[in-house]
Amino acid sequence: MSATAWAWLVLLFPLLGSIAIALGFRALPQKLAGVIGTASIGLAFACGVAALIGLLGEDPGARHHASSLWDYASVAGLDIKLGIYLDQLSLFMVLVVTGVSTLIHLYSYGYMQSDEGYHRFFSYLNFFVFSMLLLVLAGNFVLLIVGWAFVGFASYALISFWYRRETATRAGMKAFVINVVGDIGLVLAAFLIFRELGSFDYGTVFEKAPEVFSTNEWTVTAICLLLLVGAFAKSAQLPLHTWLPDAMEGPTPVSSLIHAATMVTAGVYLIARTHVLFALAPTAADISAFIGLATLLVAATIALVMTDLKRAIAYSTMSQIGYMVVGVSIGAYSAGMFHLMTHAFFKALLFMAAGSIIAAMANEQNIDRMSGFGKAMRFTSVTMLCGGLALAAFPLTSGFFSKDEILAYAGARGGMYLIFVVLGYFGAFLTAIYTFRLIFRVLQGEPCLEARELIETGHVHHAHPFNPATGEQEDTDVGFPGPEHHIAESSAPMRVAMAVLAFGALFGGLIQVPGVDNVVSDWLDPVFTGPVLAHVHPSIAWDWIGLAIGGAISLLGIWAAHWLYIADPEAPRRLETRFRGLHDFLFRKWYFDEAIDLLVVRPALAVGRFSNRVFERFVVDGLVSGTEGGVRGASGVVRAVQNGFVRSYALLLIAGFAGLALYFLLSSS
Amino acid sequence: MSSAILWAPLAFGLLGLFLPSRTVGWWAVLGTAVTLGLAISAALGFDSGSSALQYAVDEPWISGLGVDYSLGIDGLNLFLILLTAVLWTGGVAFAAFREQERPKTFYFLMLVAETATLGSFLAQDLLLFVLFFDLMLVPFYFLFGAWGHDRTGEGGLTASAATLKMIVYTLIGSLLMLVAAIATGVIAADGGHLTFSIAALQQRSLSHGSQQWLFWFFAAAFLVKMPAFLLHGWMPDAYRAAPLPALAVFSGVLAKVGAYGFLRVVLPLFPDAAVEFQEVILLIALASILYGSVMAFTQTNVRLIAGYSSVAQLGFITAGIFALRADGSDGAVLQMVNHGLVVAPIFVIVALLVERTGSEDIREMGGLALRAPVLAALFLIVALATLAMPGSANFVGEFYILNGLFQAKIVFAFVAIAGVAMSAYYALRLYQGAMHNRAPEGLLSREIGRRDALVLVPLVLCILGLALYPQLILERTAPKVERTVAKVTGGDAPEARLATTTPPTGRKYPYMEGNRPVDLREPGTP
Amino acid sequence: MNFNEPQIDYAGISPLISLTVGLCVVLLSAVFKPVRRWAPGLTLIALGATAGLLIWQWDDPKALITGALKLDDLAISISLIAILTAGFCVLFSIRERATEEAGSGEYHALLLGSVLGMVLLAQATNLVTFFVALETLSIPLYILCATNLRREGSLESGLKYLIVGSIGSATLLYGMAFLYGGTGSTGFAGIAEGIARNGLDGDPLILIGIAMAAVGLAFKTSIAPFHQWTPDVYQGAPTPITGFMAVATKAAAFAVFLRFFDVALGSQLDTWQPALAALAAISIVVGNVGALGQDSLKRLMGWSGVAQAGYMLGGVVVVSKAGVSALVFYLAAYAFMNLGAFAVIVARERETVFGDDIRGIRGLGAERPLLAWPLTISMLALAGLPATAGFIGKLYLIEALVEGDYTWLAVFIAVGTMISLAYYLRVVAAMWMRPEGERATGARPAIAGASPEADPVDLEAGRRWYVAGPALIAAAATIFFGIVPQPLVEFAEHAGRALF
Repeated sequence: MSATAWAWLVLLFPLLGSIAIALGFRALPQKLAGVIGTASIGLAFACGVAALIGLLGEDPGARHHASSLWDYASVAGLDIKLGIYLDQLSLFMVLVVTGVSTLIHLYSYGYMQSDEGYHRFFSYLNFFVFSMLLLVLAGNFVLLIVGWAFVGFASYALISFWYRRETATRAGMKAFVINVVGDIGLVLAAFLIFRELGSFDYGTVFEKAPEVFSTNEWTVTAICLLLLVGAFAKSAQLPLHTWLPDAMEGPTPVSSLIHAATMVTAGVYLIARTHVLFALAPTAADISAFIGLATLLVAATIALVMTDLKRAIAYSTMSQIGYMVVGVSIGAYSAGMFHLMTHAFFKALLFMAAGSIIAAMANEQNIDRMSGFGKAMRFTSVTMLCGGLALAAFPLTSGFFSKDEILAYAGARGGMYLIFVVLGYFGAFLTAIYTFRLIFRVLQGEPCLEARELIETGHVHHAHPFNPATGEQEDTDVGFPGPEHHIAESSAPMRVAMAVLAFGALFGGLIQVPGVDNVVSDWLDPVFTGPVLAHVHPSIAWDWIGLAIGGAISLLGIWAAHWLYIADPEAPRRLETRFRGLHDFLFRKWYFDEAIDLLVVRPALAVGRFSNRVFERFVVDGLVSGTEGGVRGASGVVRAVQNGFVRSYALLLIAGFAGLALYFLLSSS
Repeated sequence: MSSAILWAPLAFGLLGLFLPSRTVGWWAVLGTAVTLGLAISAALGFDSGSSALQYAVDEPWISGLGVDYSLGIDGLNLFLILLTAVLWTGGVAFAAFREQERPKTFYFLMLVAETATLGSFLAQDLLLFVLFFDLMLVPFYFLFGAWGHDRTGEGGLTASAATLKMIVYTLIGSLLMLVAAIATGVIAADGGHLTFSIAALQQRSLSHGSQQWLFWFFAAAFLVKMPAFLLHGWMPDAYRAAPLPALAVFSGVLAKVGAYGFLRVVLPLFPDAAVEFQEVILLIALASILYGSVMAFTQTNVRLIAGYSSVAQLGFITAGIFALRADGSDGAVLQMVNHGLVVAPIFVIVALLVERTGSEDIREMGGLALRAPVLAALFLIVALATLAMPGSANFVGEFYILNGLFQAKIVFAFVAIAGVAMSAYYALRLYQGAMHNRAPEGLLSREIGRRDALVLVPLVLCILGLALYPQLILERTAPKVERTVAKVTGGDAPEARLATTTPPTGRKYPYMEGNRPVDLREPGTP
Repeated sequence: MNFNEPQIDYAGISPLISLTVGLCVVLLSAVFKPVRRWAPGLTLIALGATAGLLIWQWDDPKALITGALKLDDLAISISLIAILTAGFCVLFSIRERATEEAGSGEYHALLLGSVLGMVLLAQATNLVTFFVALETLSIPLYILCATNLRREGSLESGLKYLIVGSIGSATLLYGMAFLYGGTGSTGFAGIAEGIARNGLDGDPLILIGIAMAAVGLAFKTSIAPFHQWTPDVYQGAPTPITGFMAVATKAAAFAVFLRFFDVALGSQLDTWQPALAALAAISIVVGNVGALGQDSLKRLMGWSGVAQAGYMLGGVVVVSKAGVSALVFYLAAYAFMNLGAFAVIVARERETVFGDDIRGIRGLGAERPLLAWPLTISMLALAGLPATAGFIGKLYLIEALVEGDYTWLAVFIAVGTMISLAYYLRVVAAMWMRPEGERATGARPAIAGASPEADPVDLEAGRRWYVAGPALIAAAATIFFGIVPQPLVEFAEHAGRALF
């Protein structure tokens, strides 16, 4: 079987799984649904591997194939086929996505057990994986947009999975609308591409682009900026990031899969995928890089003060994606993708760990109320630590290599790109601090109530859950985990999933060690031969110097965190009071939500109210009632004349005659 | 064939008058089903490659006045006819599952309405078209007025008052159109043989001056029917009054006749005027898109949310047509079908919601999904299609429309696309408001019944089917559409064709005086 | 001196003879008690015979009585319309109080007299016959309007009609005198020659003559602003007579309108065309807005008649074959539409205590579909909605107008039709829909007797063959000619060929 055939199968299984579970939501027993869901993704992963084997058999230059099933919508000169494009890049993504997804499905199998909406959950989750794979494998921009929107929808559906939570539904709506804005960016980009290159097909576009566009020509720049709108909306980069923290309303496996490991990195993939265009529009690429840098820092600073466990990790996700965006924008394509992979491992892991803790806390996510889980939940805390170390780029963990490769590349490009090196390392420092802030505060310290209960009885009972945001009692019959849904780390599938990821987080980086091996870049580089930037390569020496600095910084950060949260627990309070203004500013997330609300939401609604109350009533109806009134008035006049008296009738008759006669005389003389 | 499709509903309707009241509903369903069957067989026998008129019928009708009874099917109307047949089957079936007062008259009128609507799609003679166009309103006048709901309270109109408003308002356009149609024939004949056959009239060219006013007389009729911005004054009251089964077909199909008229009549007969007034119409279309969307997300009455959303959607369709490019118009035709296929189910669902919640106010609904997961799922699919979710045929339609607009008038495209974002909001708002969040006190939600599912599921399947293969419609529509548009743009082939055939290399850049700027890339690069 | 007896074409004047004979017979029948009840039957026979004789003459135009009359297809078609209407009127009159009170024989004799006048008028090609016919037509009508003796309204309407009518006639007569003075001829053809001979520019005599004639004719066809008698008289007169007047008088008057302007003054288009067009426009507006919110159906029909006359005048304005044909077609269609409506009004007048008030037909759709449908169809047809003869008629008229470069008048017709929907559909709504919330618009009765005395109520009236029959026939015809108009179109075209 050809590689593309396997690729089609990769798409097929998750879709089938989703449909099967959806249709059988009454018939299928819960466990079976979970099995189907997990298995279908597992199969997809297997097919991915098969496709990999297929590609490995070919020479690196020729490892790209397009294949299409049927004309999706091709008339009037638009060529839109239902086609996929398989090459090293897309396959890399396929493997990452399916691999991580399989593990997260496995985790969910245990985690969601006591949830009423089990079938719905797995159906959605499979659908998401299908959409993500469609996005990755799409062979033309239209299909890309389709996948793009599908993941958006899946994310909406899963964010508002517990749809009786006002907060959840509102968050879902927010995510969806912002993502639609992103879609619009892509659509416009596609139109512009079509106008310039007369095609939506990857092959044609990337082949024609260099001969049609001259570097930094406004059209190609515009195209790239429009693409970036899409990318940033999906990857939660400034200023379109506000939906991501709210997205944490969804069940934790969702946060882990969609809002950490896979979907949010789609923007990175998009930039890498369209690198040909970005190479032609350096300005756009730089803009993108700087936005990535800004996001990286802003998010990191916010993560420093977040007290909500999942939201804090979400901000760290933003910040890490910032690194990747910087990477692929400055030309460190394989480095960016490498970081994407490692990040998928450790961030998914962190969320899983957080998930089991939150479960133990009965959906309490405030870290101020958590402490001492280190002893209470051994397994979880260990895995959490692994994830944390990788995130903090602790030497020799996966994050350590991948992050530093990006910065080393920036250094190699030199010039203004040194800014990225400096601030990148500063970001790394912050990362280390906030990561271990979480770890220390959650795992260390005097065990909190739940933790102690666990230690003593190995079991927690809590009251009916309440929504921390609104304080209303959760409506458990839609599937919100009820009181019996407590510590879940005991379930074997979850342990397996977490263990595998922990392994990946720790040692995943070793496949790409400067001077030792180059698995990722060897695999990916053929894709990026075109643009100049792919040929910039930092020397091994610089690589190691960079790694050394990185390691030092990470250790420094961890030490700082330790000093703040372990050695001197009062320090945070003091800092907080000292820099009250700054703290509030960060705690309010730089007031982005407020700004968007003020600039976009309120005006739109105001216009709506105006047109409803004023325009519709006075202009539109006025048009009707005005005419009506006029006619009625005329009829009133006629009636007044029609007074029933013969004399007046006669008078009018004579008058009429007079008028007529007068006209005749005047007109014809 | 055309005649059979046209008269089948009426025939069943007349026979229905002589049946006992209990069975007449099912008889009507049978009638619509038979019509659907005929329409489908016509579609199967349709030669998709050609732009020619098929199943053509052409008999002199009033030879004295040069009016012919001429019908025919081509790329423009094939799927609109199918849509009509499908929606009527659904709507009538939905009604048949419920008690109707004075059932005989009700179903008779429904079937008359179907014949009239099919007639306006099939007609190939200008006056015949106008005749059916006006006739469509009559049965709906009775349906809305006699079976509608009176609204009490402030500004409340009785059903009859609301429908009177509607019919007067919409006939303003149609009667002017009658004058214009006759004038077209007479002026084109120019003393010679008088004919109103659209095909024949296309050959005769009208003077620029007469094209201008004729254009507006027709445009008025079509824009009111849609309804377009500022001319939609009749819509809110009529929509609130209408009985839902009738409303489903009404907003599903009748609005499209207006847009269809532009393609069938205005572009071919008044090409110069179409080009001249392109911007004006586009402005109206944009206004409809934005205004409709804004209104849709401030309404609380579920009927009106759907109603205003259609205003926006028809705005898109008009914009597509008046991009005056093949792709725009292809998209428009596709979108007519799509919109019909989503808006009718929405009204069916609205009916179900009202039955469950006893209210038409979105604020008094919620949480239905819990007890009615299937209904929720169906609603979700329809809602996503409504907001033109990529992957739905509606997206393809909108994509073609906006692409055409983008290539023709880039600025308009940028404005229009804002409507897409808004549609996402109001469609989801409608869905969430009904299905999610906490249910109000004492709201009993019920799963969709088997019989109603029988109506709703096929419609949803149509949506999904088209989502997988919109080419089905596009490839059959394209040839005729391209002919039509080519007539306007003057060229034999629309620009969209050229886009692929001629490689855009070496284009002239006005701002570059032709010579390309120096390559900024570092030396030594491939 | 030798005397050569004039050569008389008896075939040509046979219709007139048959009518006259019929008239005498019916009148005499009233004298002998046993045959008194036969009056309606005899009338119908007379009408039938006349119709037969007219059809016999179809398509062979001939001048009669030294060119005083012209029996061509225009005349025949118009006469047939008048006779048809009269026939319906006879049926409506059965069991009508007016008939009993005035005496059946006399009543029907007067009716025949009026018909005779119409047949004459349709053929008149000469000022003298024109006037004679007009009076023969009118005087019986004056009386017939007042035949409902015990009803003040009836008497008042009769009187009103008489007074205002005689003003109209007087004006007309004056006009004729002037024309004769100006052209030295009484024959239309002669007048045409006369005008052609010494032009018309600034000849005040002729101009005033034309104006006066126009007024006279406008009055008979109830064109605004000479329409005011119409609503009052229509409302007061016995309903069968109203129906008869509404259609037949209009038809006959329009026939001579055509002859007078298109033949006699055909050469002087530019002088009078704009004026008539203006009159048409005015009465379209006045008629339609006047009819809004009228609660008395007969009154409403009166106003609608004014508007419809405005539409039809369009056919006169464009001096063309198409115009004449359109006019004749419309008159025929108009006959069916109106008679259908009046049949139902007659029925409800007898069935309810509301008289012709709109309340009388509330909820008719549910309880008496057989009455509701004819009225509905008539209303839709009058409103010019498709699939009815009314639509084709409008189509025909508009086509004629556009061809005659009077598109603006066509637009007026369209606009007028829109306004008319508001009241025609109000009637429909009353029958089929729940009572509207709107309060009754203050249509204060323009004449004293508007509030009907309690007439004996006959709940079966609407089911009697002589009411239900005509209603259904008229409705059927309205629909039939809406779907298969070709025969009627040919009929009209014949009439058109008579003049051009």
